[in-house]
Amino acid sequence: MRRVKAARPARPLAVPTAVITGALLLTGCGSDADGPAELSVRAAYIPQPVSDTMAAGFLTIVNEGGTKDELTSVTSTAADSVTLHETVGSSMEEVTSLDVPAHGQLVFKSGGNHLMFEKLKSKPVRGGTVTVELHFATSDPLEVEIPVKSATYNPQTGQ
Amino acid sequence: MRKKTFAVAALLAAATLTLSACGGGDSGSSPVAVVSEDGKQQAATVLDQPFTKPDLVLTDTRGKSYDLRKETAGHPTLIYFGYTNCPDVCPLTMNNIAVAKKQLPQAEQDDLRVVFVTTDPDRDTPAALGTWLKGIDPQVVGLTGKFATIQAAARTLGISVEAPHKDKNGKIVSTHGTQVVAFSPKTDGGYLIYGEDATVDDYTKDLPKILKGANP
Repeated sequence: MRRVKAARPARPLAVPTAVITGALLLTGCGSDADGPAELSVRAAYIPQPVSDTMAAGFLTIVNEGGTKDELTSVTSTAADSVTLHETVGSSMEEVTSLDVPAHGQLVFKSGGNHLMFEKLKSKPVRGGTVTVELHFATSDPLEVEIPVKSATYNPQTGQ
Repeated sequence: MRKKTFAVAALLAAATLTLSACGGGDSGSSPVAVVSEDGKQQAATVLDQPFTKPDLVLTDTRGKSYDLRKETAGHPTLIYFGYTNCPDVCPLTMNNIAVAKKQLPQAEQDDLRVVFVTTDPDRDTPAALGTWLKGIDPQVVGLTGKFATIQAAARTLGISVEAPHKDKNGKIVSTHGTQVVAFSPKTDGGYLIYGEDATVDDYTKDLPKILKGANP
């Protein structure tokens, strides 16, 4: 009995700590329930292509804001044409825009959505980068330097 | 004891808040997380009822007639249906196999037959296939011919491909197979299937077994 009593003071201390941590993270992430879209890009890569005219690109666009946005186009000084593609079954369809949901993300990954670079000015080589500009319906454009990885790069293993 | 329980509870509470604070957790739009939970052990599906090797005669990258059954009889063989104007899955699949193959002793590399059959024969001429495959592995056999012949052969392996067609912008839309079929050198039967998510490591681990017609 005495032991239990001795331990009690820990309880009022532990709970407020947790609450404070959570509160700090809430403001830290800036995920205002109805705020504007807050976009950032992560996990971008281009597998070194086989052909010197065509390549695929992958990335994740994260929206920490409370409003959805739309990726409407992608441009690059490295290619005359960059288009958005969705994989439907085992063929690919070009789309004119893709949603970046509120508090969500738009994922481009192998076997799913991808950026398709055509009419490349030079073949992207592993170790290099390709600069693209992402254009959105409402947010400002984002410039991303996409690293070129090996032809067999797997983002799950990082190799 | 009590003290410990409280500490754990506090940690859990903090973790929960962290998750909800950063959003995204409730959007259900994070397939990456699902994939990582797969805990995949084995890339290959071993078939109880192996596929018969298709009776397929097409044109290779040198413009010569290639009889699949005759040329690959008694050799471990991997067959994939794809096309060269495919930026994502087709080159990834072929490169995964090529990188794994290069880790085999030379004699085994020479024994292995890797066959890439185009699903877009109008654009994938012998020359176009040859150029593309040279960028992956010059030992890969590239085959082209009549689409109907290719489609029928794919169908016997449970692989469905559609004829290339133009989309509303006039761009050609082609389809690729979603599987690689491995044939045993002992029986010439197609006894293993690999999906699109098979990695270099999967093929590296399995190829020595396939060379012997063994199950991975």
